Amino acid sequence: MITFEAVTKRYPDGTVAVDELDLEVPAGKTMVLVGPSGCGKTTSLRMINRLVEPTEGTILLDGTDIKARNPALLRRGIGYVIQQTGLFPHRTVEDNIATVPVLTGWPRKKARGRARELLALVGLDPALARRYPYQLSGGQQQRVGVARALAADPPVLLMDEPFSAVDPLVRASLQDQLLSLQAELQKTIVLVTHDIEEAIKVGDLVALFRPHGKLAQVAPPERLLAAPADDYVAGFVGFDRGIRRLSFVSTAGLDLDSGAVLPAEATVTQALDAGRPWICVTEAGHPRGWVDTAALATLPGGTPLGQVAAEPIGHPFTVGRDSLRAALDAAVLSPAGQAVAVDEAGGVLGVAAFDQLRSAIQHGAIQHGAIQREAAQAPDGPRGQETREVQHAQEGPVP
Amino acid sequence: MSFFNWAWDWVTTDANWHGSGSIPQQLLAHLGYSILPLLIAALIGVPAGVAIGHRGGKRAVVVINVANAWRAIPTLGLLILLAVFLGFSALTWLVPLVVLAIPPILVNSYEGVVAVDPSVKDAAAGMGMTPWQQVTRVEIPNAIPLILVGLRTSAIFVVATATIAAYIGLGGLGRFIIDGLASDQYGPVAGGALLVVLLAVLVLALFAGLSRLVVPAGLRKQAKTE
Amino acid sequence: MMWSWIPENASLIWQLTRENLYLGVVPALIGLAIALPLGIIAARWRWFYPPVLAAVNILYAIPSLALFIALIPAFGLTDTTVVIALTVFSLCVILPNVVAGLRGVPAAVTQAATAMGYGPLRRLMTVELPLAVPVIIAGLRVGVVSGISLASLGQLIGVSSLGYLFIDGLQRSFPTEIYVGLFLVIVLALVCDLILVAIRRALTPWAAAQPERRQRRLRQLTEVTP
Repeated sequence: MITFEAVTKRYPDGTVAVDELDLEVPAGKTMVLVGPSGCGKTTSLRMINRLVEPTEGTILLDGTDIKARNPALLRRGIGYVIQQTGLFPHRTVEDNIATVPVLTGWPRKKARGRARELLALVGLDPALARRYPYQLSGGQQQRVGVARALAADPPVLLMDEPFSAVDPLVRASLQDQLLSLQAELQKTIVLVTHDIEEAIKVGDLVALFRPHGKLAQVAPPERLLAAPADDYVAGFVGFDRGIRRLSFVSTAGLDLDSGAVLPAEATVTQALDAGRPWICVTEAGHPRGWVDTAALATLPGGTPLGQVAAEPIGHPFTVGRDSLRAALDAAVLSPAGQAVAVDEAGGVLGVAAFDQLRSAIQHGAIQHGAIQREAAQAPDGPRGQETREVQHAQEGPVP
Repeated sequence: MSFFNWAWDWVTTDANWHGSGSIPQQLLAHLGYSILPLLIAALIGVPAGVAIGHRGGKRAVVVINVANAWRAIPTLGLLILLAVFLGFSALTWLVPLVVLAIPPILVNSYEGVVAVDPSVKDAAAGMGMTPWQQVTRVEIPNAIPLILVGLRTSAIFVVATATIAAYIGLGGLGRFIIDGLASDQYGPVAGGALLVVLLAVLVLALFAGLSRLVVPAGLRKQAKTE
Repeated sequence: MMWSWIPENASLIWQLTRENLYLGVVPALIGLAIALPLGIIAARWRWFYPPVLAAVNILYAIPSLALFIALIPAFGLTDTTVVIALTVFSLCVILPNVVAGLRGVPAAVTQAATAMGYGPLRRLMTVELPLAVPVIIAGLRVGVVSGISLASLGQLIGVSSLGYLFIDGLQRSFPTEIYVGLFLVIVLALVCDLILVAIRRALTPWAAAQPERRQRRLRQLTEVTP
């Protein structure tokens, strides 16, 4: 657990980078520091491992004042990942990763063995171990940077815009990797980013900074979207936060219509009998296309649906795993105005029309309102402790 | 007759290779006059340059400007001054040559450390290396190419300038040049000059080989791809 | 220290100073004039640079004194010999800086200029060269300062410069002369250095508050840093 107590950083020329920061990072959780340029988030991060010393205030790590500890030794117990990776160009990938273990006295062979383990952990081919950093792509270098930070198995991990320098596809993949690593390792992570989407995706808690080093709000991502503390936060979070908030609502209890689903072998007559404006045609259980029943009237009744021209599915959503936001998006993309629901294996379970989605959204809105009322009574302070919970268990069948 | 004719004739004259004051003898003396100042300058210049580069800041820029201005000191003048006051002591030739050799070594060592990617230095500090470890394990290895450039430049300067030690009566390849000039014999003058040039080129080759040995593999290959 | 000697020989001292100044500055300027076009070509056509650099490295290894000597058969014991030799030296020092300076102009800047409709020549003169000025002048400073110091060596082959004061002072065992010579060479070089710094400041008003950090990284790209 990391605690900031009235921490201020003032530079000799008068600029205040961090202004009386009170913040608590719970152990084993990911706290994301987010805000505009110059808001003090990076400075705050770098004060945790004493690369920057506070002008006033105290920072406690598991109850001990970090000032009391030798800086070098302190840092060996804290993983550090930066945007430009800072990989040592004169050392191989495995020697880079082995740096802190070797510093703490491990024999080199043992450290290199650990390095190879970590390469696998971050999803890299162990054959890269003997390569040099310049031979790796940007995404690979970032992963090596993360592996290096984890090598000595530190309880705390500091990450300063670790994914900002790579392209969006690689970034998404790295974020997913971080989430799965965290599920396995449960480190205390403090991550700095200027990207609010990244903060929402990756964080258990989000600390939003104002310009010039003051905190605006600390809350779990869903609460940030549902109940922003003021206009500044609402503006930073973005205008479509209502829809984005739906990504925290599960589709587990969604009411589905299976009558609109027919296999490719079914005939036109069966389709017309179903009485639906659109039919979802499946092949071996998987969605293949949408057929407009109005266009079927002219066709001979015995024609298999597989031979009828179909509109593309767009994308289906997986019930339970995907959020209501994904389902809504699927419906918007679909020519039928309905979303195709599939199970984990990809087999079609049914379709959800706007009506069903609307009910689910309203149900979510009720909880949204509940969160807002709760927030109004107890505004988020620095100790916003709630961890991220999926509303899964609370959703019953939608009326 | 061109410079090369004169030089070649003289160098290939067998007599010049035997007896006192022969080519091998002066060559050896010349090496002695060159290696010692270089070593001393390296022992002073490399740690100083690296330390200043590691510290950084405004003071560093001042020191570097001073080192550059240092080049203004005329070696011949300094040599003669010391000769007048100290006579034939070792310091007479050591001091001017060390003074000459320090600037390139100091400046290049500084430049080498400063040029290390700031994010690499940040990572080294952030991972828990003490300042000493940062310098020895990260900054110096990455600065080696430029440190070598500084050493090479100084080596060439020193080999070249050790010739003027002969002016105050010492040995070395300069002996042929000074004596030849005094007795109007261009042969030894040209020959001596040629030998000095060959020695300097040899230094170049030695350093090329040294760089292959000493520069970390990751940097060498990287430089090739740039 | 016989102070009266100075005013008594003022005209001699002044003449020697002027000659040394000429011998130090002119070669550097000629070297610049040669290095600029060569450097511009080398910065633009990458394949051109490695052979040129190799040649420069070897030329740089040739001691100036040896070069003075080598040129005697062709140009005699005259100013020209010294000027040519020191021009070669200056060229070796300045060329890498021209290339580094031009290559160090951020690609984004040159592309923006091209996109705005600057032809290659106009872009070179009004965008790239001005931005390369600090690095080029850094090279010029070394060329001038070292040149003024090396010019005094010309006295050994009889070419008149402040080196005369060293040699005459030694022959007459007259330290005053030597002190004066040392002082003047150093001051002359430092004054020229300061003038060049002032010129650089005047030519680059935008660089006023910025540290020289960026310039450091450019030097990493070049092989020869004097």
